[in-house]
Amino acid sequence: MRLLLWWAGRALSSAVTLLGISVLIFAALRLMPGGFAETILGPFATPEQKAELAVRYGLDQSVFAQYGHWMAAVGTGDFGTSMISGQPVAAELWARLPVTAQLTLLAVAAAVLAGVPLGVLTALRARPGGGGVAGRLLSGLGVSVPEFALGSLVVFVVSRYGLQTSGYLLPAAVLSIFAISATARTTRDAVLNVLVEPHVTAAVARGETPWFIVRHHILRNAAGPVLTLTATITAYLLGGALIVEYLFNLPGIGSYVVQAVGRRDYAVVQAGVLLAATVFIVMNVLIDLLVGLVDPRLGRRA
Amino acid sequence: MRYRLAGSVAALALATSACGGGTAAAPPGTAATGSTAAPGFLAVADDKLPAGGALNVAVHIDSGAATGLDPQLADVATSWQLMSLVYETLVTVGPDFTPQPRLAESWENPTPTTYVFHLRKGVAFSNGREMTADDVVGSLKRLLAAKSVWRGQLGPVEKVAKVDAATVKVTLAKPYTPFLAALANVPAAILPMKEIEAKTLDPAKEMLGTGPFKVQAHRQDVSWNFARNEHYWDKGKPAADSLTVTIAPEEAARVAAVQNGSSALAALGNVDSAAMLAGAANVKVATQATTDFYYLMLNSKNPKFADPRVRQALNMALDRKQMAEVALGGQGKPTGVTPAGLPGACDPATLPSATGGGAAKAKELLAQAGVANLSFTLSIYSTEPAPAVAQVIQQNLQQAGVAVKIEQMDEASWSGKVYGKVPATFDAALSWFAGYADPGMVTTWWNPDVAGFNVGFMQADKDLNKLIAAATETPSGAERDKALAAVCAKVDTDAQMIPLVTRPATVAYRADAVSPSLYATEGYGNLLRLVADARVKKG
Amino acid sequence: MNRTTRVKGTARAKRTASVKGTAGGRRARRLDPLSLTGLGCLLLLVLVALGSLVHAGGDPDAIVGPRLQPPGPGWWLGTDNLGRSMLPRVMEGVGTTLLLSSAAVLVTAALSAGFGILAGYRGGYLNELVMRVVELLYSFPAIVLAILVAAVAGPGQLAAVASIVLVTIPLMIRLVRAAAVAVAERDYVTAAAISGAGLPRILGRHILPNVAGTIAVQGTYALSVGISVEGGLSFLGFGVQPPQASLGVLIRQGGTYMMAAPWLIIGPGVVLVLAILSINVLGDGLRDRFEPRETRALI
Repeated sequence: MRLLLWWAGRALSSAVTLLGISVLIFAALRLMPGGFAETILGPFATPEQKAELAVRYGLDQSVFAQYGHWMAAVGTGDFGTSMISGQPVAAELWARLPVTAQLTLLAVAAAVLAGVPLGVLTALRARPGGGGVAGRLLSGLGVSVPEFALGSLVVFVVSRYGLQTSGYLLPAAVLSIFAISATARTTRDAVLNVLVEPHVTAAVARGETPWFIVRHHILRNAAGPVLTLTATITAYLLGGALIVEYLFNLPGIGSYVVQAVGRRDYAVVQAGVLLAATVFIVMNVLIDLLVGLVDPRLGRRA
Repeated sequence: MRYRLAGSVAALALATSACGGGTAAAPPGTAATGSTAAPGFLAVADDKLPAGGALNVAVHIDSGAATGLDPQLADVATSWQLMSLVYETLVTVGPDFTPQPRLAESWENPTPTTYVFHLRKGVAFSNGREMTADDVVGSLKRLLAAKSVWRGQLGPVEKVAKVDAATVKVTLAKPYTPFLAALANVPAAILPMKEIEAKTLDPAKEMLGTGPFKVQAHRQDVSWNFARNEHYWDKGKPAADSLTVTIAPEEAARVAAVQNGSSALAALGNVDSAAMLAGAANVKVATQATTDFYYLMLNSKNPKFADPRVRQALNMALDRKQMAEVALGGQGKPTGVTPAGLPGACDPATLPSATGGGAAKAKELLAQAGVANLSFTLSIYSTEPAPAVAQVIQQNLQQAGVAVKIEQMDEASWSGKVYGKVPATFDAALSWFAGYADPGMVTTWWNPDVAGFNVGFMQADKDLNKLIAAATETPSGAERDKALAAVCAKVDTDAQMIPLVTRPATVAYRADAVSPSLYATEGYGNLLRLVADARVKKG
Repeated sequence: MNRTTRVKGTARAKRTASVKGTAGGRRARRLDPLSLTGLGCLLLLVLVALGSLVHAGGDPDAIVGPRLQPPGPGWWLGTDNLGRSMLPRVMEGVGTTLLLSSAAVLVTAALSAGFGILAGYRGGYLNELVMRVVELLYSFPAIVLAILVAAVAGPGQLAAVASIVLVTIPLMIRLVRAAAVAVAERDYVTAAAISGAGLPRILGRHILPNVAGTIAVQGTYALSVGISVEGGLSFLGFGVQPPQASLGVLIRQGGTYMMAAPWLIIGPGVVLVLAILSINVLGDGLRDRFEPRETRALI
């Protein structure tokens, strides 16, 4: 019962957050300088053409009415129509989802498959007194190199040798540098935290094998933060990896939304932001569930 | 990021002269190494190569406007470029900017105000229906009635009439020299009026023309797939079976596409692309001169620039040569209001601002006007090379003791600031026009009553308007050149919209994948103008 | 833009809440050599930035020579595409980037300290409100947020600072709050409350000093995020205004000339990575040195 109440509260607060996001994005778009009419119709447009466009997309109504219509439509699953293409926004988001999803999947898989072992290894080999200079430098470098710098370099150098930059491996690799480094750092810290706990010492004293200790005592207990991080990265990437999409010319969700900001294509930006925020929030809820399953102590604390 | 101004624009990036991989960039207008291009061409497709094959090109922006795909309402060059693959006009422009036959096989000009067009036989739309004189008359009438920017360029058309099944007559109210040049641009394309009137086709949503290609598929901001129009009248064209246009907003992505061969040809924006791509196997970079030019807007409704002496002083302090050399890497040319490169254009070196005495004289003039420590904000959008031009302007004016603060914004904010309010509130702004194909055409935008978009920041000048009208009415020849020179000089001293330098366009292509045809100078920003001639190299 | 903060945050907040009570950890000690090296590099960069104020390397805006020249006398780091010397431009870039990021981080730190401590100590509706706002900012796609801010405020330094603050603040408030919750349960805070100490005194004298470590450590991370955000904004054309140089602007420009004029990207690129790396390494060291075990972060 208490658990149920807790989840109800959680759902309610998520809904409030999404509502806040909707207000924020709606207001911000209308506060932006440069009207949709000048942008979408160009400087030669006559006042009549502008008025026509405004009427067609309901932009002649008061902002409150516009917001109300938008919310009502979203409630029925209608995310509006792009003023640029005249196509439904939901269809285009759906068409772009596979690009974003594949990039995310590859980058996150790399992060988990490479980052976790690296983190465990560096933690187990860490000497008291903070050794592991190389590891710290490398992972520090990994989270430091800006995506746009690394991406530009990779795109240019790889294509210079006639190699294809299409496909998802390269862009995912660019994205995964950060993800791997961050995962390795988190894992290392989480493992170090677990290592000092009494049950690990006890296990060592009992003479259990190192591999058994790692699996049963360390990984299980260190999983929480690593899972949380993985979820955050996943949610972030699902919102669109703008710079990598641009550099590798991948039609993902990030470039769709950002181009729409540039053209004041309101419905697209609103839907994109709402989608990204929903994914982010749902991911967080899911991960709390998952963490609770893996490590019940943490689940109760959430 | 795109820019869409005034009728033109867009981005483009077109082409340039060719320089082979590894050689230094040649000046605009020179022939491509390795191919014997004819005069007026950067490259000529090798018609000994077999036809067929799939051609991939990359451009930086899709056509995208609330007005959709209706060519009559298109006002940016990037849209014209895509639409020109499907739609054709009665006449077209040659490499020397003379009118050439297209859907009209020939024409007569019996009086200065009458044009009689003899339509080509055997022209069909891509649905197989033959084009008729009714399509031609209907299209032109529709354009004249449309809220189209091109309406202002078409001139004083009084009447469009069908003479017989193969003849159409256009009557003007008074002589208008740029008429054929204006007819040669995409907004004057011949539409399938029968289908449009029967409402079986919405030209805003679907393209159906007489051109070499028809649309197979389109995904907004991602790509276009074109297939050959099997009913195309010019047999043997298009040489390629299919054409894919990939939209890649990021320059690095287009450079990569050419380097690895995933695109055979790409429009580039960087004026130093030739140096960038030197050493890339089989990649040729060409710089196409264009009639497009940058201009500086000084808002005369702003008290800072109300005094013409202040504007003239700034104009005098500008170093157009440095702009061309430094900001545009030597690929641009100083220009007056008649675009440098068009036959009959005035010589910018003889203009009052060029002979006026530079920064020192500018200082004197400002002092005479009682202005000390002038400082103003220059609003630009972030698409290169506009920021580079702006920074040279800033350095130039610093020499005359004028402080310029550059304000760089996204295109939408810029448009809002410059066009959004009447009267406008900005100090100064930088942009560019497409220069079109006749030296008198773009001068019309210096008459705010005709142009419309600049009423917020530009004071109409009766004398200038008269000169502009005279230059468009005078038939080509020495007298017209004189009239155009007078417009140039007047615009120069008026100094509300100050022409600066022409805007080069760069194209890179794979010599092992395509043999393209490219004009040396382009007026309508159409890199793909001759794409139907391009031969795909296989293997 | 950078995800560092976000990522760290959740992990950290979670963990913070859960490992309370684990004692001890590494004892306070001097910064390790690596962190000291980081600190040294950072100080060096600050010196360089100060040098640019007096144009120690020359005027960063002046056109001094032919375009795209390799390093040589007169332009020791080469010239850019407008014929400006890269040396003063890189120096100015370091200054701009450090100044903007640190200004933003100070704002973030101050706001986070205020709201985080208050929410953590008082709990209840205030806590709920602060956490909702934080979650809202947190789940808003960072890059769209930054662009909207830049467009609404008008691009420039103010917009860059505001963007960095908005991108870094959700995480820092979460962590400060979590730390404050942990501290608030300690005996000495309870004792102070029982003995009648006022709210400002409890917050200022008892809680703030104990969460200062968290703020300092997070501040260094936020600084590196700030540099990335500034660079990302410039990449998209919303950064500082020309002709002012920032590391983001220089790298963006240099990136397009990678083959033809590699000196355009090598200088600023090396400096940027050096700056972020130094800050991160220093942050790690500070964390090991100052942050109480129970509020340890996990990245």
